[in-house]
Amino acid sequence: MTAVKTTETAAPAGGTTPPALPPAVTGGARKRRRRGGAFDRALPYLLLAPALIAILWLIGFPVVSVFVTSFRQLNLGELVRGEIVWTGIDNYVTVLQDERFWTVTLRTVVFTVAVVGSSVGAGLLIALLMRALTPWVRIALQIAMLCAWAMPILASTTVYQWMFDQNYGILNKTLVQLGFDSFAGYSWFSSGTSTLSVVGLLIVWQAIPFLAFSLYAGVVGIPRDLYEAAGIDGASGWQTFRAVTWPEIRSLLMMVTFLSTLWDFKVFAQIWVMREGGPSGESTTLSVLQYLEGIAKSHFGVAAAISVLMMLILGLITFQYLRRLLQTEEGKI
Amino acid sequence: MLKKSAANVAGVLLALFFLFPTYWMITSALKPKGSTITSDYDLVPLSVTFTNFVTAWTKPGFLSSLGNSLMVTLTAVLAAVVVGITAAVAMSRFAFRGRKSFVLLMLVAQMAPFEALLIPMFLMMRDLQLYEHLTSLVLVYFAVTLPFCAWTLRGFVNGIPVELEEAAMVDGCGRWGAFQKVTLPLLGPGLVATSVFAFITAWNEFLFAKVLIRSQDRETLPVWLSGFQTAFGTDWGGAMAASVLFTVPALVFFLIVQRKMVAGVTAGAVKG
Repeated sequence: MTAVKTTETAAPAGGTTPPALPPAVTGGARKRRRRGGAFDRALPYLLLAPALIAILWLIGFPVVSVFVTSFRQLNLGELVRGEIVWTGIDNYVTVLQDERFWTVTLRTVVFTVAVVGSSVGAGLLIALLMRALTPWVRIALQIAMLCAWAMPILASTTVYQWMFDQNYGILNKTLVQLGFDSFAGYSWFSSGTSTLSVVGLLIVWQAIPFLAFSLYAGVVGIPRDLYEAAGIDGASGWQTFRAVTWPEIRSLLMMVTFLSTLWDFKVFAQIWVMREGGPSGESTTLSVLQYLEGIAKSHFGVAAAISVLMMLILGLITFQYLRRLLQTEEGKI
Repeated sequence: MLKKSAANVAGVLLALFFLFPTYWMITSALKPKGSTITSDYDLVPLSVTFTNFVTAWTKPGFLSSLGNSLMVTLTAVLAAVVVGITAAVAMSRFAFRGRKSFVLLMLVAQMAPFEALLIPMFLMMRDLQLYEHLTSLVLVYFAVTLPFCAWTLRGFVNGIPVELEEAAMVDGCGRWGAFQKVTLPLLGPGLVATSVFAFITAWNEFLFAKVLIRSQDRETLPVWLSGFQTAFGTDWGGAMAASVLFTVPALVFFLIVQRKMVAGVTAGAVKG
């Protein structure tokens, strides 16, 4: 919570600060004064220059370039020869006419909604639960969640592959021990749905800690007297949640839902490492499709069109929230 | 009372759910070679050995990819933090034309879906003759983490009262002196939190590392681990030991700053 508190007290620091503070009359400062206000006026721009250049070069340029490339025919041949072949909207036509693209898009959206929904929901429940726990249980839960959170994605993906292993995985062995004999040698990766469920579980498991910690911070910050007042008024648990907790954490909940959507929509590593989008393409999502078209098949133009469509879909999903976020932030700056 | 103990039971079960993969990773790594791949029910390890760690450590590619990962990640994060700080100071301590648009640019850049920029990044790095060079990864990770660093550090700088700097300047410090002696030390915790988050992001990155680097001696740890089946076959014990070694640096950093990281990421939301 430290950062939250400090930024709150910070409001006056920004816009109201006079641009040039009176330079003191010692040492290096004297030289600067002689050069006058010009240096002081240029200073903020000089300080910003490296970041601005880097962002324009490494983010701005690729964003423009992905649009431009999506209107070019760019396969390995054109790339090697350095040819520029404009094809108008041919790439988009190719992609949008491909039935597979629509299947993959639908799958990606459903997957994202399922993963975001269950991780935010579970995160909220755990945040509320943590309030009710005995301190040592709460600390144990927090440490356990920290371990899940801190594990690098590739390490956790490898561990999940091992736990879900067909013949020697601990999950199948446990299920057999519990009497479900049909799970002996059961393959969790035999269908796309099953594969994506395992990937989804992995992502949710690793996403919950951040969500639970953030939401817990929000829940703990709610003044206690609000609950006391609700108790005096005879509110039930659900009524208290609706009337006290919900309004206090709503904006935080929206924020983490938004962030989760941004993160989960474009997941690549877990899906690719598990089964490379298989079996037979059934767990392929948009980011995997983009990789397959662009990098594996070297159809850069088509892949760029997929990337643009990816950004459009993500934009559509998050548009409402993004607009509100930018408005509130603009007001605060 | 009954309600409380029910909550505690749920809490303990959840703790086990979150802890189990870590537990399983460590115990599998500690089991002797013969007893990893077995049909016996072996939830608790009966004997402990460190040979799996030796195997992982000496596997071809492990040390070089560990070195590559550390080099790329640390360089990118250092650059992002330094550039981020200067931008943060400019954004929160100066009033100038275009400031508002720049702050918004940082916010938007932070949300850029980098995965969707894979193709142009690949083409750009190829044009710059950086394909197959670790420099390309440094640049990508720098770009991925910079907006976040600048944005978060701006929050931390905002939190330091400007009067402190002014007081130092009245006492005879220059602008740089005031920053260096007053603001920078107070920024310490924020700096640590920000750089750890950036570190984790770069340490985890897989897609660009896979696409921009093809030769084995230059790959990073995530890519090396993703191909563990070529290195380990079905030696799950060795793979788990490698995973443990991969996790340790991240876990150590995490424990240092966990509280601040939550706050940092959601700072924008809570204020509202």
